[in-house]
Order: sequence, then C-alpha cells, then structure tokens
Amino acid sequence: MIADLLTGTLAEEIAAAPQLRVFVPTTPATEVAARAAQRLGHERLAIAQGFTALAGPQRDWITDVFTLLRRGLLGVAVAPVQLDAAGRTNLSGIGPPGKPKVALIGPRGLPENNDTPSPLWYLLAAHSPRTLVERVDVVCGAAPSGAGPRTLLTSAGCFDLVDGRWRARWLAPGGEELVAQAPALGIEVPAGTPTREAPSPEALAAVQAVDPQGARRVEFGE
Amino acid sequence: MGARAGGSAVASLLEILDGAVADGALVATGGGELRRKPMAAVRALAALGRTGLRLATMLGSADVEALLGSGAVAEVHAAGVALEGLAPRWREARQTGDPRVLEWSEGTFVAALQAAALGLGSQLWPSGTGTDLPAINPWLKELADPHTGAPVLAVRALVPDVALIHVDAVDADGNAHVADDLVADALLARAARRVVVTYERRAELDPANAAISRLWIDDAVEAPGGAAPTACAPHYDVDSEGLRAL
Repeated sequence: MIADLLTGTLAEEIAAAPQLRVFVPTTPATEVAARAAQRLGHERLAIAQGFTALAGPQRDWITDVFTLLRRGLLGVAVAPVQLDAAGRTNLSGIGPPGKPKVALIGPRGLPENNDTPSPLWYLLAAHSPRTLVERVDVVCGAAPSGAGPRTLLTSAGCFDLVDGRWRARWLAPGGEELVAQAPALGIEVPAGTPTREAPSPEALAAVQAVDPQGARRVEFGE
Repeated sequence: MGARAGGSAVASLLEILDGAVADGALVATGGGELRRKPMAAVRALAALGRTGLRLATMLGSADVEALLGSGAVAEVHAAGVALEGLAPRWREARQTGDPRVLEWSEGTFVAALQAAALGLGSQLWPSGTGTDLPAINPWLKELADPHTGAPVLAVRALVPDVALIHVDAVDADGNAHVADDLVADALLARAARRVVVTYERRAELDPANAAISRLWIDDAVEAPGGAAPTACAPHYDVDSEGLRAL
C-alpha cells in the first residue's frame, strides 16, 4: 500500500521537524500526514487551510506565509509536473518558457517554496520518467542551495537531495526497477540501501486514526 | 462609501462598474482558486462590453475563464489558473499567446500588491531568482540587492484601477467579513485605486473581527450567490456543474 507507506513516512518526517510552526496541505494525503504528525507528538503544529485560514481569529497572514518560509518554519509537500536532477521544479507547462506546447496551471508558489531554509517534500504518486527529468522545461523553482532539507517521496521510495544530487534513503518494494526506469533523475542508490514496506507502527496507527475513511488513497489510485 | 442594500444588485453593479472601469483598465479579482471569486461582478463586467481589459488575480479559476470567454481581456496576470482540472481558456491563451499572459509566482504577486499599497514603483523579493520567471514576465527583474549584493527580484507594482472582491458579509459599519481563507484580499483592497465589494448578507458582526476595513471599500453591493459557481463559506460550496457550463 503505497498510500500508507508515503503518507505515514511524511507524517514521521513532519513529526521529526519540531521547528515547524505551520504545515500547508496541498492534497488530502498531505493533510492526513500533518494531522497524523500532531498525534505523533508535534502538538503545536498549526495546519493551514489555504493562505490565511488557521484555527482561531487570525485573518491577514498572507505575508506571514512567506516570512515563515524564509525563516524555516513552514512545511509543505508539493507535486510539481516536473522535478529534475538538480531539484528544480516546474508547474507552468511543457515546452519552452513562455511558449508552452502544453500549458498547465502556472508557477503558483514553487518559486517561493523551492529554495528556503524550510523543509520541503515532493510527494509523487508515481515514479514516472515523464515527471522525473534531467532538466525541467520551465524553471519555476530554482535549484535548492542546500539551506533546507529536500526529500522526494514516490512509489519507488525516499530520496534526499544531497550536494545537488538525489540519493536513495530507502526503496519501496520494486523501487530499484522504478528508479532504473527514470534514469534522467540520476538517483544514486548506495550499496546496502534498505527496503521499506510500511511506515512505523505508530505512524501507521496515527494515519489510520485521523483518516479512517481512507481519503489519502485517492491520489495514489488505490 | 456607496453601500447599496437590497434592490437590484445587478443594476447597481452595472452602474458602478460602468463608471469605474474604462476600456484598457487593470481589473483585479479577489478570492483564490475555487473560493470567493467575485462572479456577480465578473458577469456584470462582461455584460458591459469593455475591450482591452487587463485582468490580474493571484490564483484564478472561474473569473479568468469567464472573462477570457467574454472577449473583453487583452492581458492576464496570474500565478496559476485552474478549475477542478485544467482551465481550457487559460491553456489556450498561453499556448497561442492570445491574449497575452504574464506568469507570476504567488509571492511576487503579493510583492507587487505590497508595492502598490506602499506607493512604490517596485519592491524587492527574495524568491524567484534563478528561475525562468524574469525571462517571461517583464514585471520581474533580477538584480543584486544594493546593500547586500544578494540576488533578488525587483517586482514592479501592480496597481489595479478596480478590485472586485466577494465576501460572506458586511457589518453595520460597512466592514467586510470572510468566513474562510482571505487569500490576498486585504492586501488587494489596499493596493487598488477603487474597491468594489459584493456580499452575501448584512449581519451584526463585531467590526474587530472584520477581514477588510471599510477604510478600503468604495462600493458595497448585496449579491447573494455572487461567488457561484465558486464557493463562499459558510453559504455554499463549489458548483461543479456550473464550472463546466462556464
């Protein structure tokens, strides 16, 4: 169950980042992960609903979002349409910048998200060579300078951007084959990289407790 | 403030927008994604038959699609546009170059409104350097911070001639209240030369909890259902069928 593996892993990651004050969900699974992280001990973590809607009366924090990002206090997991070997991201379109053959949503917040001291996760349901490329067509998010951790979670496993290169932390079952099918990303798989089939029992229990109906599964096609 | 309660909201909106929006005006819409898009005002604007409008919104949806469909728009500024999936007229505009689209990020769009609210010609912004955005949006220029030398973007001010904002309620003093995400609307209200607010209802609400002070509101028009087919909490959710019918 990739949905449980990746949602549970993201919950563990958020729970292990006590500096985070806010997490901004972008999909149902990322919201489940943030709520599970609260149960795993990150009790002070606020969860945003959009740009300005936190629990409580605070109204006008549009600029706070960017201040929190620049201070390393805001976590987010994004799903770019392209992610490349240097950690650059694209949500604008396929084809030359400004003249897309296929126009997509637009840059959104990727320029702000990609190079900050805040932790950033890329959560992709598939480990697809169409998404994971050598260089993105339109650079929306610049190559991270290493200020904050950058972690890729896909159906193939968990990968960290280290010194400008992707390196496997662990592989999901069948992950080695999936990595080989998307060679442009240039992932290094060190000898002895472990395989992980499920998140920790605590994380799995937290995920199931906050999402008993399984809303997290939809975006993974389960 | 020219508050108009009840009566013919459509007639009021037409009258206000007829006086406020000239051909070629820069019109900004509030809300974000599928929340609180000022669709009553957008429809009234489309009915006026203006040409050459420049449309700006941080995160567009039905507002951008409806105005692109009206033929009134010559230029669109946005950090992203989508419906419940991809937005067809937005895609077509970007793929054909007609009308012209300028792509922003969410943060640079906010910086452009901040610059406008402060009366600055531009504002420095820390993100977006090292991206393709300055190459495709001339309102963004990469330069070295004059004090630190760090690469930054100089973001040109975006000063809307008119901002259109839809809210949950207006209180007895004329302040606007919002029940969910305010997105960038409070900043937009400070950046625009004129602010037209449409609202679902008049309500006895504490002005201390207002989202947008009456200081920034020029016109307020009652328009129940005025965000549909986008959502307006707590009154109604997204109307998927209405989105498909745009």
